[in-house]
Amino acid sequence: MKNNLFIIFTFALLAVMPLILSDYWTGQLNYYLIYGLFALSLSLVWGYGGILCFGQAIFFGIGAYVMAVSTKGMLSPVPANFYLGLSLACMAAAAFAALLGSFLFAGKGINGPYLAIITLAIAMVLERLMSNWYALGGYNGLLDIPPINLGLFSYDLEIWDSRPAFYILWSIVFCITLLLGWLVKSDFGSLLIALRTNPERLTYFGFSPLQIKLKVFCLSAAIAGLAGALFVTLDGFASPTLIGFTLSTEVLIWVALGGKELLIAAFLGAIATRLAENWLSELFGDYWLLILGFLFMVSVVLFPKGLIATPIQAFLKRFNSNKNAA
Amino acid sequence: MLEIKNLVSGYGEATVLKELNCTIAPGGVSAIMGRNGMGKTTLLKTIMGLVRAQSGEIFFNAVPIHSLPTHQIAHKKLGYVPQGREVFDKLTVLENLRLSALGSSKENLQLLPQIYEWFPVLQERSSQKAGTLSGGQQQMLAIARTLIGRPEIILLDEPSEGIQPSIVHEIATRLKKIALSTGLTILLVEQNVDMVMTMADHIHFMENGEIRETVGKEELRNSDEKLRTYLSV
Repeated sequence: MKNNLFIIFTFALLAVMPLILSDYWTGQLNYYLIYGLFALSLSLVWGYGGILCFGQAIFFGIGAYVMAVSTKGMLSPVPANFYLGLSLACMAAAAFAALLGSFLFAGKGINGPYLAIITLAIAMVLERLMSNWYALGGYNGLLDIPPINLGLFSYDLEIWDSRPAFYILWSIVFCITLLLGWLVKSDFGSLLIALRTNPERLTYFGFSPLQIKLKVFCLSAAIAGLAGALFVTLDGFASPTLIGFTLSTEVLIWVALGGKELLIAAFLGAIATRLAENWLSELFGDYWLLILGFLFMVSVVLFPKGLIATPIQAFLKRFNSNKNAA
Repeated sequence: MLEIKNLVSGYGEATVLKELNCTIAPGGVSAIMGRNGMGKTTLLKTIMGLVRAQSGEIFFNAVPIHSLPTHQIAHKKLGYVPQGREVFDKLTVLENLRLSALGSSKENLQLLPQIYEWFPVLQERSSQKAGTLSGGQQQMLAIARTLIGRPEIILLDEPSEGIQPSIVHEIATRLKKIALSTGLTILLVEQNVDMVMTMADHIHFMENGEIRETVGKEELRNSDEKLRTYLSV
């Protein structure tokens, strides 16, 4: 509940932003919401599940491309539909995760740095593949992807303006954050803690660690796929960079900076980093990356739980002890 | 009934169990005693599938279990309390119990009041993180966690290790009572003579990866020659 209070507070604050901000900044905020959603997917699998996936953009990119080809009508006879596209994007990302996960986690399984290297390599291979897949636009990617379309059946209701788009994205991301917040506090959340700390012990009680790993990996992939799908409706453009190395490492930095073991901190980590990039790269140009690198080192050494998660957790601890004292 | 036939097991090239044969009858408490390094823990780990049998067979209620993965062996109603307790220290006492119950069936949660009756201290500490419990309390949690899965047999690996003698005795008497009242079978690996004498009906002595001798408790009580042969260094 306390965790949820923070989530509700954050999203309430976000909800009033478009009323204050210009069109340009509301448009930027739309992107930040999607990056936040993407960060949530990594926080779930890495922070809670203990699976360090260095290639999370694989699933973001799969979602993006599936959404692109489906809403552009390239999958005929499958009709071009926004809702169908979103579902297909989630399912495709989850299916790929199931396949990949079965290879990675079966038997003794691959863990830690080995898993990170392999997932990173797969992201790079897929980026290469998409660059050379000419039917899907190759290096130039796919253009003119339709925007969010809330229409049903043969009616179209395309959302071109950034404010209505914001509230649609806000609702989706808010619901998913609340659901994840509930999930990590449920029995499944306890299972994830056990999986992260002592997977072998779970087997004594009849749990199969492989199944739990696959579940959390697929769920995380589906959310990343959803983020990718929503991204292309905003951007109108799907390119190989969405599936590759750079985005995979960026999301890792957002989540590590924010705090991987607290959903809302990971979400805010993505928004804060992107916001800082927007400002600081104007002021300092490419030197901004040095600042980011420095912040990352400070976070790893001094605040291993994350720059945003550390104060939030300190606040919650204080709040709790005050309540107990009263 | 747990039947072990010609079991060979070990780690890589090192063979620890050498053609081990043993039968554990249902109901009652059997103990396995022996010096360090004789293969007691390896035997329990092999039964649970944590160490793969190199050859030989293990049957539980006439079903072969030696080639099953650990979680499926657990589903056959074998409970395991490992050495060093291995509770989930980041989870609370209640979360530890819930998780273990859910591993086999949601209905196991109905056993929670019974568990609290057996181990009242766990109810008092139910919202405390398991890592902050004392050694004895962690051991009770480890045992309770296994019991809540309604096993037919539980394998206990050195439950007295690192626990003060009065608590060891308390755990032993309580387990004996639970075994008597529920018909649970207990296979106890232990070096603590007091605990074995409190709980066990039969004692199997193990040496160099084999069961050398099996005696009744009364026989052991009358002479400590066997203890000297198999336990003294």
